[in-house]
Amino acid sequence: MAKLKIEDLKKIKERVHKENALREGDRRVRVTVHMGTCGIAAGAREVMNALLNEIEEAGVSDVAVTTSGCMGLCSREPEVTVEILGTEPIVYEYVNANKMRQIFKRHILQGEIQSPFVLARGKEQQD
Amino acid sequence: MKSNDEVLLEEFEPKQIQRLDEIIDEYRGRAGGLIPVLEKAQELLGYLPVPIQERIGEGLNIPLCQVYGVVTFYSFFTMQPRGRHTVRVCLGTACYVRGGKKIAENLERMFGIKEGETTQDRRFTYETVRCLGACGLGPVVVVDNDVHGRVKPDKLRSILDQYN
Amino acid sequence: MKVFRSHILICGGTGCHATGSVAVKQALMAELAKQNLSEEIRVVETGCNGFCAMGPVMVVYPDGIMYVEVSPEDIPEVVEEHLLKGRPVERLFYKEPLTEERIPEMGEIPFFAHQKLRVLRNKGLIDPEIIDEYIARDGYAGMAKALTELSPEGIVKEMLDSGLRGRGGAGFPTGLKWKFASQSKSDVKYVLCNADEGDPGAFMDRSVLEADPHAILEGMVIAAKAIGSSKGYIYCRAEYPLAIRRLSIAIEQAKEYGLLGENILDTGFNFDIEIYQGAGAFVCGEETALMTSIEGKRGMPRPRPPFPAVAGLWKQPSILNNVETFANVGQIIHKGSAWFASVGNEKSKGTKVFALTGDVNNVGLVEVPMGTPLGTIVFDIGGGIPNGKKFKAAQLGGPSGGMIPIQHLNAPVDFETVAELGAIMGSGGMIVMNEDMCPVDMARFFMDFCQDESCGKCVPCREGTKRMLEILTNICEGKGREGDIELLEEMAQVIKDSALCGLGQTAPNPVLSTIRYFRDEYEAHIKEKRCPAGVCSALFKSPCQNACPIGMDVPSYLALVRAGRLDDAYKVLLRTNPFPAVCGRVCDHQCQSKCRRATLDESLAIKFVKRFITDNAAKPEVEAVPVTRKEKIAVIGAGPAGLTTARDLAIRGYAVTVYEELPEAGGMMRYGIPSYRLPREILAKEIDDIRALGVEILCNRRVGRDVSFGEINEKYDYIYLAPGAHKSQKLGVEGEDAEGVYGGVEFLRDFNINENAWVKGEKVLGTRVAVIGGGNSAIDAARVAVRLGAEVTIIYRRTREDMPAAEEEIIAAEHEGIKIEYFVAPTKIITENGKVIGIACERMKPGDFDRSGRRKPVRIEGSEFTLSVDSIISAIGQEPDVGFVPEESGISINRWSCFDLAAGRRAETTNAKFYAGGDAVTGPWTVVGAIQAGHDAAVEIDVAIRTLNGEPLWEAPAQEKIDIPFEIDEESEEQPQAAMPELEPAMRKVNFAEVELGFSLETAIREASRCLRCDAEV
Repeated sequence: MAKLKIEDLKKIKERVHKENALREGDRRVRVTVHMGTCGIAAGAREVMNALLNEIEEAGVSDVAVTTSGCMGLCSREPEVTVEILGTEPIVYEYVNANKMRQIFKRHILQGEIQSPFVLARGKEQQD
Repeated sequence: MKSNDEVLLEEFEPKQIQRLDEIIDEYRGRAGGLIPVLEKAQELLGYLPVPIQERIGEGLNIPLCQVYGVVTFYSFFTMQPRGRHTVRVCLGTACYVRGGKKIAENLERMFGIKEGETTQDRRFTYETVRCLGACGLGPVVVVDNDVHGRVKPDKLRSILDQYN
Repeated sequence: MKVFRSHILICGGTGCHATGSVAVKQALMAELAKQNLSEEIRVVETGCNGFCAMGPVMVVYPDGIMYVEVSPEDIPEVVEEHLLKGRPVERLFYKEPLTEERIPEMGEIPFFAHQKLRVLRNKGLIDPEIIDEYIARDGYAGMAKALTELSPEGIVKEMLDSGLRGRGGAGFPTGLKWKFASQSKSDVKYVLCNADEGDPGAFMDRSVLEADPHAILEGMVIAAKAIGSSKGYIYCRAEYPLAIRRLSIAIEQAKEYGLLGENILDTGFNFDIEIYQGAGAFVCGEETALMTSIEGKRGMPRPRPPFPAVAGLWKQPSILNNVETFANVGQIIHKGSAWFASVGNEKSKGTKVFALTGDVNNVGLVEVPMGTPLGTIVFDIGGGIPNGKKFKAAQLGGPSGGMIPIQHLNAPVDFETVAELGAIMGSGGMIVMNEDMCPVDMARFFMDFCQDESCGKCVPCREGTKRMLEILTNICEGKGREGDIELLEEMAQVIKDSALCGLGQTAPNPVLSTIRYFRDEYEAHIKEKRCPAGVCSALFKSPCQNACPIGMDVPSYLALVRAGRLDDAYKVLLRTNPFPAVCGRVCDHQCQSKCRRATLDESLAIKFVKRFITDNAAKPEVEAVPVTRKEKIAVIGAGPAGLTTARDLAIRGYAVTVYEELPEAGGMMRYGIPSYRLPREILAKEIDDIRALGVEILCNRRVGRDVSFGEINEKYDYIYLAPGAHKSQKLGVEGEDAEGVYGGVEFLRDFNINENAWVKGEKVLGTRVAVIGGGNSAIDAARVAVRLGAEVTIIYRRTREDMPAAEEEIIAAEHEGIKIEYFVAPTKIITENGKVIGIACERMKPGDFDRSGRRKPVRIEGSEFTLSVDSIISAIGQEPDVGFVPEESGISINRWSCFDLAAGRRAETTNAKFYAGGDAVTGPWTVVGAIQAGHDAAVEIDVAIRTLNGEPLWEAPAQEKIDIPFEIDEESEEQPQAAMPELEPAMRKVNFAEVELGFSLETAIREASRCLRCDAEV
């Protein structure tokens, strides 16, 4: 390992900060991949991988990815919810890796809701 | 009269003595080297009887009286052989107020030994300590490196039974 | 770069290691691999998270969900439910002890919410063994700035401006220390870090070293630049292996990166750090002793001057700062002195880390702004005292510090205030102690520590601590003598003035501090040979007996029950208590709060077993005691105090006449406590036994109405005043005199006199009743009202924990459907045509602490609301009605309308012919407290008479010998307290039958067998 210079400190900081940003708590976007048995069977795992790859490539640190269970609409899995802070959550249906990449680039990064894939708007009802 | 070497060989392996000499060599001539040597020697040999202290003193060119003075000053060093397991009962404030004293008393009664002593079968050496910094778990008993927290007096025996 | 969707941070501090975090981590890794999640989820082992009592803890990001007390068996569920399905596992959330609410997010747990993290900003957030993670959080940025932008003078100035004071205990300004060392001329200088944290109960430094080791290294490099040093040592206790390991890794990584060693960050600055392991000597925390120890010698202090800044380690200029001080330095330089000084108060800037331990719910590591009130730390962050016990004091500064008692919970914790209160800030050990702490024993404990750790170099410390320990040990063993307290104070002063180093100079602090705040307990040990807290076991047989105001021999009667000898058990009860059946039902049972069985499972149900004895034993026939004395004695008031005195004096051969205003004897036991708690015939039987001794009880005779004070004064030689406290205090709000407003005791008295009229409906409360207050009278009144068919709401202005009423009474009230509104106070009684129709209230919130340690309720603006009610019972407190005592009697009455006692006396008033006791002296108190007062008065009156006559003191007639069996279980199996069978709540509303039904023989014997026999000498 080479000895560091002042500017190297900043580089390390930037790089690692992105990796660890999700520990800081203030995130712009929260993406939930619904991973019930049905979701996984329908291909949610590939959707998740695609999403993580996109985030990695884009180098963004303000997107939080979580999972949740089945929404109860198993026939429309895989489903993904995108919630940009301060706006209502959007639920997408029949998501696959390709659609996920599009949702990431257009909705998550640029804010355009990808209407053709939308299943519902608003929060899931709590009992 | 036996030579120092002979005395040492009654108690320790030649390999151990050789390793001790290596440690002494490592620190020879370094300021403040005595305490690290003693720490390493004790880790190697278990305790620091006078013949060991003589050897360290000679090796580091420090008078025995000074070595002995240091050994007896710090509670970490011992001149007695140790048990296979060390049982340390914490009597720091937090443990004390939560019943550490009672545990110490039970242990003394159970084995008929006092603080700092080793059982006849060399199974346990019993010590008390002032706070291990695990106050959240008080009262705490440490056997070797295992910390047992929230120990109740009547659970002591079942804990110690795990060590032979 | 690899993005993970989730990071799981497992605490790897010593505390969590001890509770099994390693196994949890292994289980987690295995489970993640099994579920193919290893590429999506990263597991990080962090340093101490601080929440040690709840370990092992882990936090799942990005949600920030904290799991506590996790075991490997929980892991599959966490992975399956939370990490796969996104459903956090609720049962592993932190449970708030008071509300029992489960709190998922770390930031919302009160323990974390009130903290301000600076020194601990990285705790539980970074992997301490990966330097990049430290750098990512601005690590080494302060050092870079110091090495490239600042001159040594500039660094010193920044430190001075920040106001940082040494966190090791003494609070010396860090900048000043550096300034002195920087001005010393020498080629070789040393920067030393004191990590020899030896105060019992302190583990701040250990946690910082484990969680954020690079912060220490960074601070040391900056210090080195400031003073011109190229070599540093970290002196760390050998007892902290994990801290040493983390430090070693940190040093290695920093060297690899060129952040330590030669030519740091290519700036040409050189600095190297070596770890030096301490070998276990408390005195080595003292700076000169620490330096002597690094030199390889016995770690004894040296006289100062020369100060270390001039001649320290190997006689070279040196600075020594503690771990927490260094941990602040990097951020001060990076963010500036103004940023640092923006937190804290005038003379104490920044934050302070405390190791919060002892009798507190949330044991752990906390960081708060300097000047945070003690109460906030103990109650808001610490979550208060476990097991319903009361806070007594917090010990700050370990064996060098002192205690801050309950009346100072509002005190801001900063260097100056803490010193004024007789403690020291110390390195940050804060040990919370509850009511079971004996200050004398604690002082002895700390003195034993200092005596043991004294290095022996100087005489004041070596000999002085020994002598002080001897005196303290004597006091604890009941061998204390008059004058010991003064002797301790004098010796303390001498040692403080003359000892060589800080260890000796501060060793007497705990003694002085405990004498300052708990002198009465020292005196109880010395004069009465009594340990009020029930700790010094040489002074009592068993803690339960010691806790009982009348010293009932609890272990003996429990042993007799176990042996089935109920008649003998009853005789044991009668030896000290004329009202055992009453106490078996209504006693506040302080004995149970000290029961050692509680450390195993739960305390014994002593009260219920006592009741069982009185319900089932044969009652011996009471014979009259012949009057053998000429002195005549009057007792005013036939409550527990008056009747006890009458009985004791009758036994001694005196003629005693009791005057009682009400139609029947018993006082509050008859007219305050309702019959569903204390059936009338049970009380009547015990009063009859007192009458049978020859005591004359004249009812319906109120002194000042039916018989004049002057007549009593003339007719009797000695008079005992025990009128009780039968007058309700005023609410002090508008409308209080309206029809339908009752005082609590007045209502209970009216009900108990006219029970038939109330039950038949000739007297009515109406359908909705508000009861104001939180004492036993309030609960009694509310439960009576429920039985009269009302819908009852209790209004109390504080919290449930603050209620003076007995816990079991509150629970019973809740079971009976009584609604209790906490944090509500009345503002006005609303009337119509002179009759109550409602009550206006407002909500309160907790404010500062009062001297009793409870939070003062503070009104919330705009929170007014109105309750529609038909009646209001105001039971906020009672006072004695002492109007019958004329001023010219010379009997002094204080501002609480209670009788004053003569100085140093337990019953004699300021007129030697008159004695007083019970509620009329103490204010509303307990039955057993009144019985104690009655016993005390009888002894004082009898002794006064005999002393005056020159007679020998009374000797009690020989007691029947009852041998106490000793049967005890070798192994105690955990078994909770037996529950008292009760009448169904539905049944209670329709009658006044006794609610508690009593133990069966089998239950009583089983319960008595749980006794650990603390009285036994083994």
